[in-house]
Amino acid sequence: MNQPIQTPAPSTLAAVMEMDGQEVSFTPGETIYEVSQRMGRQVPTLCYDDRLDPFGGCRLCVVEVEGLRNPVASCTTKATPGMKVHTKTPTLERHRKTLLELVVSENPKATIDPLRGSASQELVQLRTRYGVTGERFAGHHSGQSRTDDANPFILRDYDQCISCYRCVRVCAEQEGDYAISVRGRGFETKITTEFDGLLQDSACTFCGQCVQTCPTGALADRKAMRAQADPEPIAATRSVCPYCGVGCSVDLLSKGDKLVGIRPARDGGANLGALCVKGQFAFDFVQHEDRLRTPLVRGDDGTLRPASWDEALDRAAAGFAKALHDHGRHSTYAIASGRAPHESAYAIQKLIRATSGTNYVDNCSRA
Amino acid sequence: MPTPTDDELIQRWRSEPAPLLPLLHAFHDRDGHLTDDALRAVAKGLRMPLADLFGTVTFYHHFARTPPGQRAPRVCDGPVCRLRGCDALLRALPDATPMPCAGRCDAPIPVLRGAELLVGTTAGGAFGAQGDERGWPPPEAFLRLEPSPLPPPYPGAAGDGSGECVFAEIRTPGRATLAGYRATGGYEALTAARSPSEIIDVITQSGLAGRGGAGFPTGRKWQAVADAPGDPKTIVCNADEGEPGCFKDRALMDHDPHALIEGMAIAARATGATRGFIYLRYEYPDTMVILERAIAEAKTAGLLDGFALCVRRGAGAYVCGEETSLLNSLEGKHPFPRNRPPYPVTHGYEDKPTVVNNVETLCAVAPILRHGATWYRTLGLGDHAGTKVISLSGDVVRPGNYEVPIGLPLRTLLDEWAGGPGPGRSVQAVTMAGLSGGLLGAERLDVTLDEPCLRSHGSFLGAGGIMVFDDTRDMVAVAHEAMAFFAHESCGKCFPCRIGTQRLSERLSPGPGGSGPTELDPWTTEVVDIGDAMKATSACGLGTAAPLITDSLLKYFPEQVARHLAARKA
Ligand SMILES: Cc1cc2nc3c(=O)[nH]c(=O)nc-3n(C[C@H](O)[C@H](O)[C@H](O)COP(=O)(O)O)c2cc1C
Ligand code: SF4
Ligand code: SF4
Ligand code: FES
Ligand code: FES
Repeated sequence: MNQPIQTPAPSTLAAVMEMDGQEVSFTPGETIYEVSQRMGRQVPTLCYDDRLDPFGGCRLCVVEVEGLRNPVASCTTKATPGMKVHTKTPTLERHRKTLLELVVSENPKATIDPLRGSASQELVQLRTRYGVTGERFAGHHSGQSRTDDANPFILRDYDQCISCYRCVRVCAEQEGDYAISVRGRGFETKITTEFDGLLQDSACTFCGQCVQTCPTGALADRKAMRAQADPEPIAATRSVCPYCGVGCSVDLLSKGDKLVGIRPARDGGANLGALCVKGQFAFDFVQHEDRLRTPLVRGDDGTLRPASWDEALDRAAAGFAKALHDHGRHSTYAIASGRAPHESAYAIQKLIRATSGTNYVDNCSRA
Repeated sequence: MPTPTDDELIQRWRSEPAPLLPLLHAFHDRDGHLTDDALRAVAKGLRMPLADLFGTVTFYHHFARTPPGQRAPRVCDGPVCRLRGCDALLRALPDATPMPCAGRCDAPIPVLRGAELLVGTTAGGAFGAQGDERGWPPPEAFLRLEPSPLPPPYPGAAGDGSGECVFAEIRTPGRATLAGYRATGGYEALTAARSPSEIIDVITQSGLAGRGGAGFPTGRKWQAVADAPGDPKTIVCNADEGEPGCFKDRALMDHDPHALIEGMAIAARATGATRGFIYLRYEYPDTMVILERAIAEAKTAGLLDGFALCVRRGAGAYVCGEETSLLNSLEGKHPFPRNRPPYPVTHGYEDKPTVVNNVETLCAVAPILRHGATWYRTLGLGDHAGTKVISLSGDVVRPGNYEVPIGLPLRTLLDEWAGGPGPGRSVQAVTMAGLSGGLLGAERLDVTLDEPCLRSHGSFLGAGGIMVFDDTRDMVAVAHEAMAFFAHESCGKCFPCRIGTQRLSERLSPGPGGSGPTELDPWTTEVVDIGDAMKATSACGLGTAAPLITDSLLKYFPEQVARHLAARKA
């Protein structure tokens, strides 16, 4: 049965507000920050990640709403009809600068290697934008890096941490792993796991989501950081993760012709920025020295020796032909490697169907 | 009684409302601290992530994770107890650690040990000799159990209590029992046949407003909950009383528990709520016993039918007095304050419509219904409606809880009611709203005790704690301790407060913990900039109030600030 067509309620029609003197319509439920983004405003944020529930921690996104005494956090406040909002007054900019100066007083590092993670430049970029020198508000430092956590994937450099809790929230809200949490309170809060242990002893699955949302590089991609000293610029190439059937979009990071890291694509239809431990960190096989570089065939004594492609292909073809002749078409079965590119996976099924006449074909990702 | 097993504790609590805190307390009381195994058992029993639970437990300063834990004494080193020798007591008691103001500023220094609240004294000068610990009598000799003091006799005009509302009957012997409460008119308001809208009308007309700090009109809050869709609705009594220098709610609950219970039951009837919680601060274990006994009495007498009321204890966190942090704490979540809107009236406990009211607010309800809206209104002076309990402490002759008509001159309270600062002394400053309203200097003691007047001077009445400092006190030291308190209690959710309270505290610190400029001008610029950002952008009232300390210090005591900086430079 057809659904009756709903007439929009009057309040939906009247969803108009004013931003910096300009009228703008909005969808009920939209936050002021979301409206500001549509309007091309550059409201600064540090605790915001559009995949997560708005948190309201950094307070950089505050805006003035006419009729209210104090500014409100635009990321947590919904737009309402008739609301008049100012996103960039001198007072707001002054408070934002003070807030950034307070943050930087704890986190003095002016440069962070971009290989640390997708969001790792957020704080340094705001620093530059607001001309924060790091000279004000000197005082104690709260972060404590976990140098004892030697896991090969995630660097826990909490000296850079600004307690935005994006890592905690992404782990809970996106991954459902609840491996990381906030310990203590106030200036002494620390990002931690159960009983302050190592990641490997926690509920962590090393998916790397915390790394990719961290706005300071405090949580960082240890594998990518191995290439920090390489002089070439970082290039990103869009691809699809080869491991399983989900088809997560990734950006392959390279320096020169070397693959140095992998990043989940936020606009990937299948994963929207998510990855698992394999897709995120297990790429060393690509350039591994044990990888075959030439075909091998077995000699009469049964040991492998290098061979030309022609020789190897002839040997394989003869083997298939004999099996088909002796045992029929269903005696052959092809499994494509999940690590092979998609073109190869396509080719192997074509091959087995066309040459053997069987549909016995699969990919290890399906298992 | 055999020691309960993990399983028995979990079975006891897992199906109760708001089970996390009582379950953690059960383990904490049993073992003296919360072991890893206890946390594992609780996480499994309540099906919550272990990392979350671990983080949340570490939020509360009274949950110990290692021995001697709960069995070691915790001594109040709040602003008033510092004037009364808490340092000596801390040195004398083995394993003692400090805790923030424990809400007994009108009595000897409170000391928590095990599950008990004791008081310790510096009597006989035994603690007077700073630093020399040898030859002192065993510290035990100075600790004793002592019920909390009653409010002093009403010092107002007629001396017959006619100016009081919540304290009008509190001194009547036996008032804390059901029989005694009923003998003085108790539960008449609850049992009188009044419709929900009649109740809300009277409360609205009386002008009763929140006595927990924010002053929101109580009738409007109840109406909003009554109107809000969603069931079940909840009445939460905020008995967290964590503000330093505030101890009024404790007096009301200890000596007039049924007044609170009746107020909550009336609120439930007015709003259609079927469940209720009293969220009680950890430092009031005696009050817990009194409240549970009184609730049991009222239940047995059939006065709470259809209203499931229970007490939940906090575990040491001032911010849990902030209503949305309190709700998260009750729900067993990490007690960060929530983003508002939505407000608790529509999305409160378990996201259902909820009234959160202070103890004093709720205690005023039954008398108002019995005597009428006009009666209550006219208890105030001039245009001001009603009364406010002031917890007065520090350098005054008669500290204690005083129920004043709103609009009373501060001077009248200080000098006539409480006997002034003592012979040969003058008042140098008072705090307002506990610590949250900052300081008022000697030249500003001409204020009247009402929000319009106090706000016009950059302060506010809030929960009504006033601490008095005479002319011998170092006001920078007082301000530093106040800011260190806010830094200790900041939840860490928002940047301005998490870093701001810390930086301000460092700037006020005299010792090695200090940092920041040592010249007055750059010092002032930094302190003012931090304070302005905190006031404008903090996510809750803790962060917006804390800079009133530095603002008022600079306003009233610039020369003491200059001396502080000169000493730091030297
Ligand atoms: C940091 C902070 C601490 C608070 N502590 C308390 C408290 O201990 N008791 C209380 O009743 N209200 C406290 N409040 C105020 C509550 O948020 C809330 O306004 C009050 O409980 C509402 O009750 P009322 O309307 O009856 O005053 C606190 C607020 C803040 C920001
Ligand atoms: S580690 Fe990174 S994401 Fe996590 S709280 Fe710190 S700065 Fe934020
Ligand atoms: S103002 Fe302070 S206590 Fe309140 S939310 Fe922010 S950090 Fe937490
Ligand atoms: S982005 Fe809104 S508070 Fe951080
Ligand atoms: S009880 Fe110690 S300062 Fe209040």
